[in-house]
Parts: sequence; structure tokens; C-alpha cells
Amino acid sequence: MKKLIRLTINDQDYEIAVKPNQTLADVIREDIGLTGTKKGCEVGECGTCTVILDGKPVNSCLVLAVQADGKHILTIEGLDTDKGLHPIQKAFVEKGAIQCGFCTSGMILSAKSLLDRHPDADEHEIRAAISGNLCRCTGYQKIVEAIASVKDRGPVS
Amino acid sequence: MRLPGFEFHEPTSVASACEVMGRLREKARLLAGGTDLIVNMKKKVIRPDHVVSLGRIDILKGIIEENGHLTIGACVTAAELAGAEVIRESLAALADGAAVLGSPLIRNLATVAGNLVSARPAADLPPPLMVYDAQTVLIKATGERSVDLNGFFLGPGKTLMEPDEILTGITIEMPKGCYGDSYIKLGVRQTLEISLVNVAAFIQLNGAEGSITKARIVLGAVGPTPLRAISAEEALMGQSPSDALFARAGEAAAGDAKPIDDFRGSAEYRRDMVAVLTKRALNAALDRARSR
Repeated sequence: MKKLIRLTINDQDYEIAVKPNQTLADVIREDIGLTGTKKGCEVGECGTCTVILDGKPVNSCLVLAVQADGKHILTIEGLDTDKGLHPIQKAFVEKGAIQCGFCTSGMILSAKSLLDRHPDADEHEIRAAISGNLCRCTGYQKIVEAIASVKDRGPVS
Repeated sequence: MRLPGFEFHEPTSVASACEVMGRLREKARLLAGGTDLIVNMKKKVIRPDHVVSLGRIDILKGIIEENGHLTIGACVTAAELAGAEVIRESLAALADGAAVLGSPLIRNLATVAGNLVSARPAADLPPPLMVYDAQTVLIKATGERSVDLNGFFLGPGKTLMEPDEILTGITIEMPKGCYGDSYIKLGVRQTLEISLVNVAAFIQLNGAEGSITKARIVLGAVGPTPLRAISAEEALMGQSPSDALFARAGEAAAGDAKPIDDFRGSAEYRRDMVAVLTKRALNAALDRARSR
């Protein structure tokens, strides 16, 4: 039986009927149509499905959509604004921190979550913050450099 | 990877959750953080007809210090445990364990209750909870009981909980005086790792330079359940802390361990590491005791 849930994604309110066995990742991609959130391992090990749920980065493949009823979600699509890309997105482009791009959404959201709390995070903290996000191209060095370069520009909004 | 179908229940009080579990029993599984349950359901390891979420019961989300006791609600996440000031300052081994569970993303979902009821031998929270003699609070429609965590686990994936019982929280009598505590996890990677061996240690001293008046050593991933290294604890009692004493306690703990060979490591290696890590955990606990 479907259940009607209300959730806010990227500051936009949605009211949507979901089945109990749909994950938040499924609903974001298939029902809402925001495919920037990726599905990789689907068991919480790769981090490609990372979204920010009520201020905290989580694996959306492990959250049931019904559990997200009433909650606020930020996906990668919520980062760029009328003024263009978010500073972390710009840094990833400038530093060549994107290879195949599949991990990028999750990496950027984990990085945003870190820099929002610790704008002056050091390399160790950056590596720890993205440790739940796997890059199978193994492009970690440039990802870390990109995140560190954002920090040098001052606090991130 | 689709989840099989199920009926979803979302009680908003412990009483109504007990009522639902009393009615559905084995047909239902409780959902807290979901980092084990959802994975096992996707892999079709378990196929419950009903899933009962604890996520709307606010009383299960608090950490409360009262009358010298700390109560940790079932749905407190690993990230909240690792970040809570009272735990970082007074129950440092637990903060250490919570900080290395899973990954940063998992820690924002995984709960203390989930890490206990899943009863994995290598889990990160049982050893650091057991060194403080933590008690579990188990509630069902017909009553409530308190069970020492040392004795709660029966084997891999098995606890003494009844099908209609809900683990609503953990209580810990706050340690006082000159004590130190630590937790060390050994794995081949730093994140999303299942321990090869983990060790939690707690010692209480008769003053900063005094002898040991209470000792707890708990080993993980070297037996079917997390286990107290009783002979190591006995070796420490009444003695003055020293490197030689901690080495002897390590050897005793290695004797208490019941490791097996598996693809992660050999029993022999695990036993050797119990000795090394126990000594290391005791030295870390001593440092904390003396700086407290």
C-alpha cells in the first residue's frame, strides 16, 4: 500500500505517494527525476548515493522514502544557483578532480558537509570526511586538493 | 537491488511499538538506522512481512545524565555518540568506538541499539560499552527488564532478546575517581572495516600513582560474541600499573581469546594481536587516568 509523504528537496516541497519498499535514492531518481544522485553498491559502502538529510550526509540507498517524510533533503542539484556553480563544484572543475564523474555528487556533498562545519579543515580531516565515498578511478589526490583549495578562499556558504 | 515488499509501521510511542511487536512478533523486524536491516533485506537474508520503525519515537533519541547514571536512547546514532561531550569526556572508549564505526555516512544513520541487536562478533560498540558494565533496557507490552550487556549476546546474530522485546536504551553508571579507558580497532583499512581484532580497556586506580582497583578488558572479533578477558582482569587487580604488568595482562587476554581462522586473518595472528592491543589499550587507559 502506498503512503503519501511530504518532503523538501533542494528547497522545493514535494507531496508524493511511495511504496514502503522504495528507498530515498529510488524516489529521488525515479519519482522526482533528480538523477545527479547515483546508485552504486546500494548497500552503503560506496557513497555515490550521498544526500544531505536534515543537515547530515547519509547513504540514501539505506533510507526508506517513508522515513524521509517531513524531512529536508539537499541533493547535488541543489548546490548551483543563479550565480552559477557552488565554490566546491568550481574547485572540482578547476583542479581536475573529476574523472568518470560517478562519485562526484557524493564527494561534493560530503565535502560541503565538512566545510560548512569546519571551513578551515586540514588534509587529514578532508580525507576522513570523504572516507565513505569511493572513487574507482582512484582520483583521490585531486579531489583532496580541490576541497582544500575551497578552504583557502574562506568560509563556504 | 529492490527491497522485497513489506508492511510499514511507524509508532510514535514505546507503548504503541510494544503493542505492534506483541502482535506481530517474528513476522516483524524493528528498524532504527537501517544500515544492517535494509542491507540484509536487499540481499534477501531476511524477509520480514512487517517493518516497525522506531524513528518517530523522540524519547529514544536522547542522551540523559541523571543521578550518576547515563541513559543512551536506542536511536542515538554513532555520530551523536562520538560527538557528545559527556561521552567524549567521561566514557572515552565509547566515543573512540563510535568514531570508527562504518563510515561518516553510516555513522549518521547507524544507531547504538542496532549495533547491539545485530550481535556481530566484530561490532565496534559492544566492547567499549561492556567495559563500563552497561545495562540494556528491554521492554515489551507485559513488562520491562534490565540485562547486563555481558551476557546479552548468545552467538553471531543471536541475543537473549525475545521476539516481542524492544531494546529502548542503555544505562551506564558513570565511573568516578581516577579511571582511564580506551578502545583500539585493528583492521587493514581505516573506514568501512570489519575489525580483525578490537580491544576495549578500563582501569580504575587508587589515586594517580596508586594500584589498580578495578579492571575490565573486552575483546571483539576473537570469539562468537564479544568477550571479557577474565584472566587478564584478574592479573591486573591490586597491582601497580607498569609496562611489564600490561604485557602479562596481554598474554593472559590472548589465552582468553577464542579466535577462528577466516579470510580476514588467521586465529594465530588474531591471538598474537590480542596480546599487543591489550597492552596498548591499557597504556592508553593509564594515560587517560593520569590526565583526568
